[in-house]
Amino acid sequence: MRIQALGAGLVAQTQFAMAPFRLHRPTTIEDALAIVSEHPDAVIAAGCSDLVAQIREGCAPNTLVSLQKVDALRAISHEAGVLHIGPMVTHHMGATDETVGTAIPDLAAAWASIATVRIRYTATVGGNLMARRYRYEMPLLLGALGADLVFDAGALSRPVASLWADSGTDQRGLLTDITVRTDDLVWFGYERSMRPTATVALAVRRNPDGTLQVRAQSGSEYRHGFALTADTGARELDPLEVSAQLAQQLPDDCADYTGSAEYRRHLVRVLTRRLLTAACAQLKGTTTR
Amino acid sequence: MTEYPDHETDRSAAPDGELDTCIEFALNGVKQTVRVAANAILLDVLRNNHGCNGVRGSCERGVCGACTVLVDDLPVASCSTFAFSIDGASVETVEGLAAPDGALSPQQRAFSECGGFQCGFCTSGMLMLTTGLLRQDPQPDRGTIREWISSNTCRCTGYEMILESVERAAELTGETNGESA
Repeated sequence: MRIQALGAGLVAQTQFAMAPFRLHRPTTIEDALAIVSEHPDAVIAAGCSDLVAQIREGCAPNTLVSLQKVDALRAISHEAGVLHIGPMVTHHMGATDETVGTAIPDLAAAWASIATVRIRYTATVGGNLMARRYRYEMPLLLGALGADLVFDAGALSRPVASLWADSGTDQRGLLTDITVRTDDLVWFGYERSMRPTATVALAVRRNPDGTLQVRAQSGSEYRHGFALTADTGARELDPLEVSAQLAQQLPDDCADYTGSAEYRRHLVRVLTRRLLTAACAQLKGTTTR
Repeated sequence: MTEYPDHETDRSAAPDGELDTCIEFALNGVKQTVRVAANAILLDVLRNNHGCNGVRGSCERGVCGACTVLVDDLPVASCSTFAFSIDGASVETVEGLAAPDGALSPQQRAFSECGGFQCGFCTSGMLMLTTGLLRQDPQPDRGTIREWISSNTCRCTGYEMILESVERAAELTGETNGESA
């Protein structure tokens, strides 16, 4: 049995023990914001599949705000070239939602590939993001898509990459919306065949002058995602050249005990080349994904 | 004489922001109204308060699926579910599968026929997963069964027999539904 006392304010002899907390269950975003404002140290609970593990690991909230009854946070819409995803949308809802499937079909397909059936029914996109676990995949998918995280009903908007840049205390607030621009998006794909060693999500967008820009997010089980970008300056993609350009941007600290930085760059080069080749084929109309 | 609220069952006696709360849910079809600590976990409530010892506790991280129950027909890891979150829901455990006279459900008969268990520890979770799958897809193909079953872990690695058991459960469920139609 392990002793679990880290910050819990109690010494539990087993992992079964859960720190006590005061429970709030608002039904509207306004009420939730008011509670979070009154209790700045409150922990926000979405699907709870990760939060329960966090509490077992020593997280000891005094106040827990469950968003389970806030139906407005489960909304999905596609308006004026922007896909809005509510943070309480479960993986199953997102992967099977008609609006997501129409706006970005390959996001729906990638979304359906993460976690397990049982977890997909419970876990939410907001929880997946805000848990800030390196191994979770929504930061990669939404990071490659350049999604923005909207906090406190629009009071603050931050890119997904801020999850890794900000410390926990820098990013207080209630995630109320996730937005993805779709008007200039021409292709999106996700490669997880080498998970957990390396995964890559990649989006291709068209600039106003017709040239293409590529944004990829590489991840692994043990290091946070890295954003890789390439403004090709061309109207067509060269998979070999662009994949090399993207992989080169991985910093040395992408290495972990399962692989050196050079090995990881090689993997990312291979995975991005696969994705770019698929993107080229679709853009030329020779195949569809 | 002053009437005090029944703190065990009166929902209004559990205001927001308290350390405990009152929940109502159906457990295997029977309505329950109970007061639970805000931090109570569904697995513990089912085992300790309702005697549902078929719900197994193992990884405590929602990974292994031994604790799987159905909440409103969907498979859920009860070890990673706060009890407050099932307020208003219908919860089904392995104890609710057999008929009142003890007759096994089609899923249980299928696992028994096909040897879909070895040590049996994962079996209740596998049965609930199978029940949830067959409600959504009465005739699942092997790929779908594999995808669903991969949610749970069998430490004995008897997956092939479990796959066959789910296929047989689909047959038996179809026969049972056909008979009752």
